[in-house]
Amino acid sequence: MSTAIDDELWSAVGDPTRRRMLDLLLTNGGGTATTLSQQLPVTRQAVAKHLGVLDRVGLVHAKPSGRERLYEVDEAQLARAVAQLSSVGAAWDARLRRIKRIAETIQRSRKA
Amino acid sequence: MEFGGIEREIHVEATPDVVYEVISTPEHLREWWPDEAELDPVPGATGVISFGDTKVMPLTVMEADPPRRLSFRWAYDRGEVATPANSLLVTFELIPSGSGTLLRFTETGFRERGWEAAALQERYRVHATRWDHLLPRLVGYLDRPVSRP
Repeated sequence: MSTAIDDELWSAVGDPTRRRMLDLLLTNGGGTATTLSQQLPVTRQAVAKHLGVLDRVGLVHAKPSGRERLYEVDEAQLARAVAQLSSVGAAWDARLRRIKRIAETIQRSRKA
Repeated sequence: MEFGGIEREIHVEATPDVVYEVISTPEHLREWWPDEAELDPVPGATGVISFGDTKVMPLTVMEADPPRRLSFRWAYDRGEVATPANSLLVTFELIPSGSGTLLRFTETGFRERGWEAAALQERYRVHATRWDHLLPRLVGYLDRPVSRP
């Protein structure tokens, strides 16, 4: 999996409203933008936007339900998102190794 | 493991000036992190890092003290102002060490963002429905060491 996708997934679960929405979807066994907005201090439009973010990273899936879309949590993807907690450190280890390599290359070229 | 943050140290055989340049300038940021970076490394400046064509993430410089210290907040939503509640704080400290630099890295804010184990357990108590099979898996992940194969 690419670092970019990991960062996006991490960002998606990092927002408190979106985490609350995941909680509600898990508790209720699914929900629509309307039902979620009735249980949250945010507008239906804001909820729809958050659902879009969660949908893009695969944390929820939608199916048509009357005039709305019914969202459900993808639990495998949610578990993977939480696993990111332990992999964030590994991602930074790789970035720090790259910083080291780049800086040392520059240093050597300037000495030469 | 501590979930409030990540701490790392790495020795770099390059002077603090060179290391600072690598961690703070867009042309070098692109080499070790995002695909694209637009950033003016001065305190209060807001820049963006992007991955691919579609994903753009804002970033706000908190401290810029070359060649000693650089910190920034990231991982908040576009259009928001970075705060301790909605972002992660990355800090680089550069300490001269021999002919090179000790680069000290921290990333904090996970606790504020509610992803520590205690918060998950509290959620479990509140919503004991479908978490009951999910949570043990999550706690298993949380207890694992940071590194992965």
